[in-house]
Amino acid sequence: MRQTYGKQLPGMRLTDLPGKLVVIEGTDGAGRSTQINLLKPWLEELGHAVLDTGMTRSRLAGDGIRRAKERNNLGRVTQSLFYATDFIDRLEKEIVPALRAGFIVLTDRYIYSLMARAIVRGMDPSWIRSIFSVALKPDAVFYLRIGIEQLLPRVVFSRGFDYWESGMDLFPGQDIYEGFCSYQATLLAEFDRLAAEYKFEIVDASADAEAVCAHLKKKILQIIEPVPVEEPAAKLPNFFGESLADKIFANLRREYEKAQIHAEDPLPMTPQPEHVPLARANGSRF
Amino acid sequence: MGITSSIHVGPYEIFYPLKPSVSSVQQFGQHNLPGRLFVVEGIDGSGKSTQLSLLHKWLEARGYGVVFSEWNSSPLVKDTTKLGKKKKLLTPATFSLVHATDFADRTEHSILPFLKAGAIVLCDRYIYTAFARDAARGMDGDWVRDLYGFAVKPTAAFYFRVPLETAIGRLVGARDGFKYYEAGLDLGLTGDAEDSFRLFQGRILEEYEKMIPEFGLTVIDATMPVEAQQAQVRQIVQSHLVNAKELRIQQ
Repeated sequence: MRQTYGKQLPGMRLTDLPGKLVVIEGTDGAGRSTQINLLKPWLEELGHAVLDTGMTRSRLAGDGIRRAKERNNLGRVTQSLFYATDFIDRLEKEIVPALRAGFIVLTDRYIYSLMARAIVRGMDPSWIRSIFSVALKPDAVFYLRIGIEQLLPRVVFSRGFDYWESGMDLFPGQDIYEGFCSYQATLLAEFDRLAAEYKFEIVDASADAEAVCAHLKKKILQIIEPVPVEEPAAKLPNFFGESLADKIFANLRREYEKAQIHAEDPLPMTPQPEHVPLARANGSRF
Repeated sequence: MGITSSIHVGPYEIFYPLKPSVSSVQQFGQHNLPGRLFVVEGIDGSGKSTQLSLLHKWLEARGYGVVFSEWNSSPLVKDTTKLGKKKKLLTPATFSLVHATDFADRTEHSILPFLKAGAIVLCDRYIYTAFARDAARGMDGDWVRDLYGFAVKPTAAFYFRVPLETAIGRLVGARDGFKYYEAGLDLGLTGDAEDSFRLFQGRILEEYEKMIPEFGLTVIDATMPVEAQQAQVRQIVQSHLVNAKELRIQQ
């Protein structure tokens, strides 16, 4: 039986959820979506059905949040609750049904990002925790951790500075570079606290994407049950003909072995040094 | 955690302070705010909106700066709520959250700033509506109370108590009849709108009754003549305006 962080939503049965919930967390620019784009086809090749989901992708609230953010008068309490609406809609309408159908759910951010963002915006941590107490506990949380100094060039030379990701609603009047550093450092500190509290698997995201991915694959293989590769004939109904079934499973077995070999090289997990902006962020404002 | 941890701030209580250094709510709490907040509650057909409108006119006529805020009216959130209702996307949980988001926007933009400015803020439905409806939809009562932890406690909250049949009698044939979510049709209790309304609003009435002692709601007998109810409401509001002379608009 699945567990939540304390409360259960009406109508949400926690039994018979055989799928796996895999969370990719991390600050902006840590490479979360890159990893999901690599992991999804890999899992599908192994024979697993995959749902990928992420913030503001709900049918109910996604557009509403985007419109509200354009208007620049989105208050902090309102913002936190709008994101919670988006999350719960996806939890009920996408994540839980997918887990019930045996999918592997890869989610780009989960409640932890939402909590971190709310907390750095001054929301009471116990308030935001209470709201997300209805969330399912995931099977794994991979925290792609990257320091400000490695993050900066990624942001500067790709999409540039974003108003909200630079915390300009929090640090109005600051230069956007200063805002970015202050905001990301504050978020990072909050993420580190959450990582300890919720026992995230910390992954050094400053390594290149393939090395990070190999590490994630290895960890994911530990939590997913392999597609049945032993005695295929006994498990697959005969209407395909045995030879076809054998071929499918032999193919899958090869993919599995390949993946395990790839995942062999261990990724060095050195803790990141703390950067200067963290010290500033711990100053008077927070 | 919960309502008991509230702090008392002038005529208001804030259920829980948000983190001190940043929160606008907390900054609000540190001031002795000159405004007053009056809210009306009750089921559809209880006559609460009529009473609030009469109160509004009376206060304005006496020269007070009055601001009105209606349940489910935030310009930032209403499109989302409308989409959810129209496409029937809402579950009890998202119904609850989308209304809390709407209320948060109104608290941040329409309620707090005006209370700071010394206005009299009138709300047609307040957090008690959410507590009653969400509980009737099966949401955990403590969870919903925590969700609205950022709300400002009203100076006075009037509950217009009316028997279910009286309310239904007022609604039948009036306005647009029984709406999908208002009648609790999303719960699938029964296919008939009027029956569903009766069952659902019956649950809501039970929740209101429980909240009278919990939140100290001021009960008005909504079967009395309109004038008699209004006289009671004005008398109570008057008693809260004693030190509010500075609110008068010079005409």
